[in-house]
Amino acid sequence: MRITRRTALTAVAGLTALPLDARGQSVPRARTLIIAQTFDPSTLWANGTTASDNVNVGACINESLFYVNAATNRTEPLLATELVQENDTRWLIKLRPDVKFTNGEAMDSDAVVHSIRIFADSRLTPAYASYAAPVEGAEKVDALTIRLVTKYPSPTVLLMLSQIYVIPPRYWADVGVNGFGQRPIGTGPFRLTEWQRDNRVVLDRNPDYWGPRPDGFDRVVWRPVPDENARAAGLETGEFDIAASLSVPAAQRLERARNLKILESPSYRVFHLTLSSLSIHPGPIQDRRVRLAMNHAIDKQAIIRNLFAGKARALNGQVLRREQQGFDPSLQDYVFDLARARALLAEAGFPNGFETVLKTPSGRFPQDREVAEACVGMLARVGIRCRLETLESGEYLRQLRTRELAPVALIGLAPPDDPDFQVGQYRSDWRYSYVQSAEFDRLIDVARREMNPEARAGYYRELMRAMHAEVPLVWLYQGVDLHGTAARVSGFAPRGDGRLPLYGVKMAART
Amino acid sequence: MIPFLVRRLIGAVPVLFGVAVATFFLVRLSGDPTDMILPPTTPEDVRLEFRARYGLDRPLWEQFFFWLGHLLRGDFGDSIRFGQPAGELVWERAGATLELALATLVIALAVGVPAGVAAARARGTVGDAILRVMTLLGQAVPSFYLGVVGIAVFAIWLRWLPSGGRDGIENLVLPATTLAVYFFAIVARVTRSCMLDVLNQDYIRTARAKGLPESAVVWVHALRNALLPVITVVGLQTGFLLGGVVVTETVFSWPGVGRLAIQAIYARDFPVVQAVVVIFAACFVAVNLIVDVLYALLDPRIRLR
Repeated sequence: MRITRRTALTAVAGLTALPLDARGQSVPRARTLIIAQTFDPSTLWANGTTASDNVNVGACINESLFYVNAATNRTEPLLATELVQENDTRWLIKLRPDVKFTNGEAMDSDAVVHSIRIFADSRLTPAYASYAAPVEGAEKVDALTIRLVTKYPSPTVLLMLSQIYVIPPRYWADVGVNGFGQRPIGTGPFRLTEWQRDNRVVLDRNPDYWGPRPDGFDRVVWRPVPDENARAAGLETGEFDIAASLSVPAAQRLERARNLKILESPSYRVFHLTLSSLSIHPGPIQDRRVRLAMNHAIDKQAIIRNLFAGKARALNGQVLRREQQGFDPSLQDYVFDLARARALLAEAGFPNGFETVLKTPSGRFPQDREVAEACVGMLARVGIRCRLETLESGEYLRQLRTRELAPVALIGLAPPDDPDFQVGQYRSDWRYSYVQSAEFDRLIDVARREMNPEARAGYYRELMRAMHAEVPLVWLYQGVDLHGTAARVSGFAPRGDGRLPLYGVKMAART
Repeated sequence: MIPFLVRRLIGAVPVLFGVAVATFFLVRLSGDPTDMILPPTTPEDVRLEFRARYGLDRPLWEQFFFWLGHLLRGDFGDSIRFGQPAGELVWERAGATLELALATLVIALAVGVPAGVAAARARGTVGDAILRVMTLLGQAVPSFYLGVVGIAVFAIWLRWLPSGGRDGIENLVLPATTLAVYFFAIVARVTRSCMLDVLNQDYIRTARAKGLPESAVVWVHALRNALLPVITVVGLQTGFLLGGVVVTETVFSWPGVGRLAIQAIYARDFPVVQAVVVIFAACFVAVNLIVDVLYALLDPRIRLR
């Protein structure tokens, strides 16, 4: 066929009129709860990663044995009804009866043993390896009872069980890990209807759910909205009923709207300036008096007030949060006192201060660079002249892991919610610990295996006091996550690890 | 024409291969993806096993030849973040990006060409000056800023349009218009400039002397000749369009390849970054080829050899 100019031009015109792909109809708003979070899940299997964006969606479909209720700060039964300790390393888990997966498989001991085995396989769940570390194995006792065996006494068993999402073994065998991550089957209040990558995940109510029916909504739509301004905008226009992770300026603006609510959720993430006292980082910071001077030189309340509009919490001179076991309410942070700071520096042999480097990520945490700049300015007032080094996220994490974030660095870490994970980062042999203290190590080790809660809390309080005295850090603040909801949404209780469980959420009818 | 097309297609192969090789090495300069994907509390043995699974512990030359072997079979490898084939992830989102890019071009051409023609005919007047200022602003104002302003005005204040997502045709308006502003400016300026040149040609005077209506003189005879450089410029700007798509898709939560690319870059998801770059390069090559063919179709004096 000879291609004439006319036929070619027609073909081009046809190409430019490509039909829009069939998106289907818009999700109906009636009885639909629309939630905007930062990212689209990379998998809908809740144990695929620890990223909250993934777990938030996956946990609507697959349920865990227990779950941490942010409203009560207690770990409560879910698919398991009871946990009985037989001895230091053996636990009996009693399961809820008459629960089925949406494909008809029974949620029973076989399913839970299978799920624990998957959870403990670090090749399948590398992100959960630190939770699963104590697991030796699990065995079926009867249809609704499992025995969990740990390698050593572990007080974190309940926390671990709250991370295990129960999966149907036959379906898993049929589709494999990747298939399950695309089309999960669970026991949860919702089941997957549609997943348009990077656009929406649509979940519809599970009519056979064992628990209470969601109050006021039959459908949940999760929208990935990377830009925080767009999340705030969508909440304001009514496109979203819940918008997660709002910035401080957006939250302040939306607080004034009558039809919106702003929720403040204390984050698990605590921020401090790490001060390396390692022998491989020689310098003035090796001297405790210098580290103490730095704590006195930085006005932490001013940082909280001016950079976060008061929406952050002081750390009280310890890395454990006030909700955590082992927090010592008698400890107070070192007060802002420039004169005291200068005196300490002079005593340490630095009457004119010294020069050092302060490293910070940029854009990894809210206002991270601004906080670092504020610290640089405050330290300069007592003669500590910091060269600010801004690091891209990947480089920041690499240096964190290789102990190159020295001598001073802004660090914000949000480990799993157990004191051992939090304080374990200051054990001498931890790969990004910038502290070497035999006393810290001793207390960390003995608390790690202590099964008595009161005794364990006592060890952690002692550790907090020891750290407070040794001053390995400049304690800064605990983050506060800001979330917005429409006024008709109630019962929403976001967690400090970014998880947004929908248990107890209610939505009133639109007026 | 056919021999020309075949030669160009064959010539595209080393170009794309070169792009793929360059991307392979460049993206690995950004660091190890393990730290971005696994939590900091991950035990060291698990980290090492993860790295081994994705070949990250192998020497660079070994990774290169392993990757090259798969690439020659059309396999970009599996995404480190998603665990799915990288090519599949890109194609899933390609439709959305294509939709946005085409809508942008349609708006830019539909508005820019008539505006350029009108400005040329009204040269030296206030209207011409206004258009020139608008085109200057259109090229100067960043698309990110325009997008945020667009959301503030049309979504929040006026409530005329949604703030983002991809549910219906109304979701396409803001992102396509935001991107189109820059291209409108380019198209309008080039069209105006070319029209000014063409309108002074002898054959235009001849057409007028023959008594043809002015509209026919301008829109049939003059514009057809003036469009040739416009097509060339639009083709050359395709690369910028693909780059602009990246920012716009993020601002408007548009589920396209650009957004995937941004996330893959931050997560050091090498296979996905490589797949996106190679596929974008192929699109760029294809568009330039289409421009050359169109040029020949529109100008009978040009013979493609």
